[in-house]
Amino acid sequence: MACNSSFLTLPAATLLLAGSALAALPAFAQSGMNTTSLMSEVVLDGLDNPWDMAFLDDGTMLFTEKCKGLSVRMPDGTVNALYGVGDTEGYSSNGSDLFCEGQAGMMGVAFDPDFGNNRRIYVYSTSNMSDPHTNRLMRFTLSDDFTSVSDRTDIVDDVPYKMAASNHPFGGPGAHNGGRVRFGPDGALYLTTGDTHNGEVPQSPTMMGSKVIRIDTDGNAHPDNSPPEGFDKRTYTYGHRNVQGIAFHPETGAAITAEHGPWHSDEITILANGGNAGWDPRPNMAGRDDCPDDYCGYSPNQEGGMNRYERAAWMPMTDFDTYPDAMPPIWNNNGWSQGTSSAAFLDGEAWGDWNGAMVVGIMGIGFGGTPIGQRIDVIQFNDDNTDVEDVTEMTLPMEPGRFRSVVMGPDGSLYTAIDEGTIYKLTPGS
Amino acid sequence: MVKRHVLTSLMILLGVLAWTNSYGSNLARADETETAIATDDVDLEAAEKIFKKSCRACHGNKAQGAASYPKLSHLEPDYIAEKLEIYRSGEKIGPNSILMIQPAKKLSDEDIANISVYVATAFD
Repeated sequence: MACNSSFLTLPAATLLLAGSALAALPAFAQSGMNTTSLMSEVVLDGLDNPWDMAFLDDGTMLFTEKCKGLSVRMPDGTVNALYGVGDTEGYSSNGSDLFCEGQAGMMGVAFDPDFGNNRRIYVYSTSNMSDPHTNRLMRFTLSDDFTSVSDRTDIVDDVPYKMAASNHPFGGPGAHNGGRVRFGPDGALYLTTGDTHNGEVPQSPTMMGSKVIRIDTDGNAHPDNSPPEGFDKRTYTYGHRNVQGIAFHPETGAAITAEHGPWHSDEITILANGGNAGWDPRPNMAGRDDCPDDYCGYSPNQEGGMNRYERAAWMPMTDFDTYPDAMPPIWNNNGWSQGTSSAAFLDGEAWGDWNGAMVVGIMGIGFGGTPIGQRIDVIQFNDDNTDVEDVTEMTLPMEPGRFRSVVMGPDGSLYTAIDEGTIYKLTPGS
Repeated sequence: MVKRHVLTSLMILLGVLAWTNSYGSNLARADETETAIATDDVDLEAAEKIFKKSCRACHGNKAQGAASYPKLSHLEPDYIAEKLEIYRSGEKIGPNSILMIQPAKKLSDEDIANISVYVATAFD
């Protein structure tokens, strides 16, 4: 448990008018796209690695910036800086224990489904409060005027964090934290986590990395979770690599993850309660010998290009040989790893044939012969909603970027944040 | 084919090069310092093509940095060139060096000069 009381008296003075100013920028229309026409509008620009957003029905938007903190954009476009990372200036209050490093920092955010009554919000961030450091899911109360937060309570405080660099691509500290925070249609709170480049984490029954965690708003395990014997009861699924995307099918309610592969095989997986996603990058098993720093996640030939299917055979994203009952992915990005990050379902008649389809944001990588692939893909399911029937690359009316987050807005538009610092609104229409 | 190799190489090189910045010493801004690279001699048009195709995806459309790929646009051309040459020699600088060393070995001096000046000056 942790509480932060270092409130500064910077009330509305910290309001940033960037939102309202940017709203005046022209929207760019584009026609002739796949199913509908899309228009894009810049909602916010000049941000520092925006990571996630969450909405109220009136358009109020929480958003996080990885190294800066949590803010809220009001319907009139004003922005209130709420809770800063470390000593970042300009925020109503700060978490002195919060920090960013590499891929780690402030990540997912969500409104409580009963926010109108309890004013609660949830934010996931890296913290140095414990040693080794961890990732924490924090609960706050948001003030009635949306200018400050209080009552910080760390409802999850033990998601592993990578403390030291290792001999791997992207091998710096802070790798693979997962990070998405979403409420499901069951009312439960879901948190996705990552493997921290630690071969032991994904199949560990007690280390809470590489998991999809399902809890209540106090951090207690959902009573219906059914992980294998000996597992932490907060575990909904395990054996993941680095889940940054989770969304819930509008008809079935199923939790569906979008996951970033190693040098191959981004995956979309329909989760099964207690299921194993089949990622196990330990050395000296499954036909493998030693690997750099006891993590085979980028092997073999981690320093160079190699056929993706050969890689997948040697270090599978879902290892059915070792785990025959692993949850099967329904999409693997044609065997590529291009930085699949987040997921949402389109909602509204304006989306035409895409209404109810899943969208995934892909950041792009481009190493060892992999096409960079920055895009948003539209994933249409079969009639049974059990498999992928069609995949269409969304024809974007703006320059692509590193699509870190895709979130459906209450106005029927799709909002997307790119690492380069922009949050866009994509609106269907002619 | 050779060009394709060079483009890919530069993309990777800049990725780790940027990372090393966080470990490096304080750097003067590019526009505050004279550079040893003869900027009049570099091919900025060729460098722009390389940047758009191979660098922008990780480092952002203005080399402003994105995710764990740090900012490049504030670096001096000499610094960028120096680090690229170190990677080309096979020397590790940080944990992401393995993304840089192998492709760096394919770069010519001209390639390094072009992209170093472009990244440091195009987004002022």
